[in-house]
Amino acid sequence: MLKSTRRKLLSGIAGGLAWLGATGAIAQTADKPIVLQWQTANLTEKQFEPVWKEMVAAFEAANPGIKIDPVLVARKDHWTKFVTASQARRAPCLVSVDLTTAAYNGYLMPLDKFWDAEPEAWRKAWSDEVMKAARWQGKLYGVPIWGGIYAEIYNEDLVKAAGLDPAKPPVSWADYRTWAKALTKDGQWATAILGGKTDTTTRVLLSWIYSNGGEVFNADMTEATFAKNPKSLEAIKAYLGLARDGFAAPAPTTTNYLEQTVMFAQNKIATMRNANWAIAKAEEDNPALKGKLIVAPAPHQIPNAPTLKTVTSTSIAADCASPEAAWKFIKFEADAKWSIKRAKVANWMPIRSDLANEPEIKSDPMLLTFLKIGENAKPYPLPLPIWADIAAGDIVDAVQKALLAPDTLETVFKDLDAKINRKLKDQ
Amino acid sequence: MTAVSDSLSRPALPQRRRGHTARPGLESERWHGYLFIAPAFIFLCAVIVLPLIKAFWTSLERTRGLNTMFVGFDNYVRVLESEAFWNSLWVSLSFTALCVAMHMAIGLGLAMLLNRVAHARAVLRVAFLTPWMVAPAIGSTIWLWLLEPQFGVVNYLFSAVGLIDSYKAWLGEPSLAFGSIVAVDVWRGVPFVMLLLLAGLQTIPVEQYEAASIDGASPLQQFRYITLPNLKYFIVVASTLDIINTIRMFDIIAVMTGGGPVGATEVLPALLYNTAFRANHFGEAAAIGVLLLILVLAFSVLYVGLTRTHAQEGSR
Repeated sequence: MLKSTRRKLLSGIAGGLAWLGATGAIAQTADKPIVLQWQTANLTEKQFEPVWKEMVAAFEAANPGIKIDPVLVARKDHWTKFVTASQARRAPCLVSVDLTTAAYNGYLMPLDKFWDAEPEAWRKAWSDEVMKAARWQGKLYGVPIWGGIYAEIYNEDLVKAAGLDPAKPPVSWADYRTWAKALTKDGQWATAILGGKTDTTTRVLLSWIYSNGGEVFNADMTEATFAKNPKSLEAIKAYLGLARDGFAAPAPTTTNYLEQTVMFAQNKIATMRNANWAIAKAEEDNPALKGKLIVAPAPHQIPNAPTLKTVTSTSIAADCASPEAAWKFIKFEADAKWSIKRAKVANWMPIRSDLANEPEIKSDPMLLTFLKIGENAKPYPLPLPIWADIAAGDIVDAVQKALLAPDTLETVFKDLDAKINRKLKDQ
Repeated sequence: MTAVSDSLSRPALPQRRRGHTARPGLESERWHGYLFIAPAFIFLCAVIVLPLIKAFWTSLERTRGLNTMFVGFDNYVRVLESEAFWNSLWVSLSFTALCVAMHMAIGLGLAMLLNRVAHARAVLRVAFLTPWMVAPAIGSTIWLWLLEPQFGVVNYLFSAVGLIDSYKAWLGEPSLAFGSIVAVDVWRGVPFVMLLLLAGLQTIPVEQYEAASIDGASPLQQFRYITLPNLKYFIVVASTLDIINTIRMFDIIAVMTGGGPVGATEVLPALLYNTAFRANHFGEAAAIGVLLLILVLAFSVLYVGLTRTHAQEGSR
């Protein structure tokens, strides 16, 4: 009798708890917002912080059921963290990464169904050429959000001090060398060669190769042509030769984007090959530089030589549980309002072709100059599935070898071609 | 008769064991013992054994992002055929040999100094231990900027005293980069060795030195015939642990050079990292990890062997 009463009592308590649990769980699920992790290498950069914080707040206010959880990770660890998370099937839903390498490895979700469902007028805001940088094997893996056009940035004060006319920056490589000679003196150099172990080394090298009409791959991207293409090899020699001739700051094998902009801000180098964002960085480090910078197309050897343009796209990770919500954020991020804010506050260049005539963009002469230079630019990253490895590894190694032993430059880049070709076959 | 012969042929069970089986309470106590160590055992399996098995399994697979394919020992063949692996092995071994030798020499010197100094011992001990207390990534970042070619203090000081006539790229030239990394590791690794050897020095009876001094032994002879023999065990322990620590060192390289320039500082863990996260070849990276584990295990076995030998010598 006692046993049966106890059993009834226990089963009653258990039933009650189960009911409470179930209703609680339902209520919790109904109220629980979708949380989207968002990882891009730029979130930790001071100049971008006010823009992304404002944008996230505005997005969350407009979409009460979605929360954005920014993943702040140092640029150096960005790819590592993304790959690790992807391998664990826990990648942030929203990511900006080397699109082709990530898509090739299956880390990203094709976005064609979302893209195709959008009005044509919206889709037309991006040029076909820009969209190529967001596709891999015919599928769309990201929406281009911002870009960077590589040009030559000069310190007007140092140019004037060297007796040069800032209104007539160098047009050809020969002019550039003449300037380099004048701009190099004790403790100050014309420029910096980038040889540090990141892909910015490769970006600047490519801009020199393109300025001579060179190519680093054949048309169908099955063969590397760093040494095979005479124009490419000539460009590499001209660029790295600046170090050998004493026109570039010492220690190029360790110089990277950060060191380059710091040297520029401290008036140790007079010019740098970089994008619009470097201006924000240099002016932040040395406010005296404000209004003292000149932008000009990269000196070139052939008429109408293209420069390099980076395209930063936002993608959705392959295992994202809420791709619809993620797509909403991408559309919000790509909105003209935020594109303009990014350009004005953080110097990230707008990538949408419909924004060039916006009054706020037109009123910024520096930005307008960059956009004009970028009308003839080749997008980066290159659409190769192993590009991340090649760009941050093999090419950088070759640049370092050639800088350390200039006499071996041709052999080094022949070896590089052979190494990349082996990798391309091996994939 | 049979019973008698059986009792003669079978070895008798030890009395204590018989006692145990006879007392059910103690038997259950033994199970309690297993129960108590079970959480730790399960935890160790989860964080050491399972990842090891997973790593070994990964080393038998070819990965392309999220897709994998079983390839047997193909990754090992690829790794062992690659120039990068042999370069890294050489860099790792030479780095370890140099660092450990310097840790031991400088560590012993500092330990002897601390053992003798009476007044400022506490202050000096803290000062010498500081590099060890600083987080490796922070210490490496500090050194990265100290060695920076344009703005670094090292170049400034060396040129101020006339040691160099032009700025050096300490991390930009292969031999300088290797030397710089060794120097930073020595800065960080010496305190550990110093502590162990200081503990050893403090076990040596002062009377031995006093007797030797009365017999007219010089300081060098005292070091040769008293200090070194007494420290033998501590030196073996310190050097073996230091070898195991140094050969798997990664943080300094990751922060300061990434393995460059041109592979000059690419130790095995750096090669593993670059293979996994730069080239996205997780199978090959896992194979490098397994080979590195075998190398570390070899030193660990040596360590256990040497310490056991010493323990046996000590108990005689």
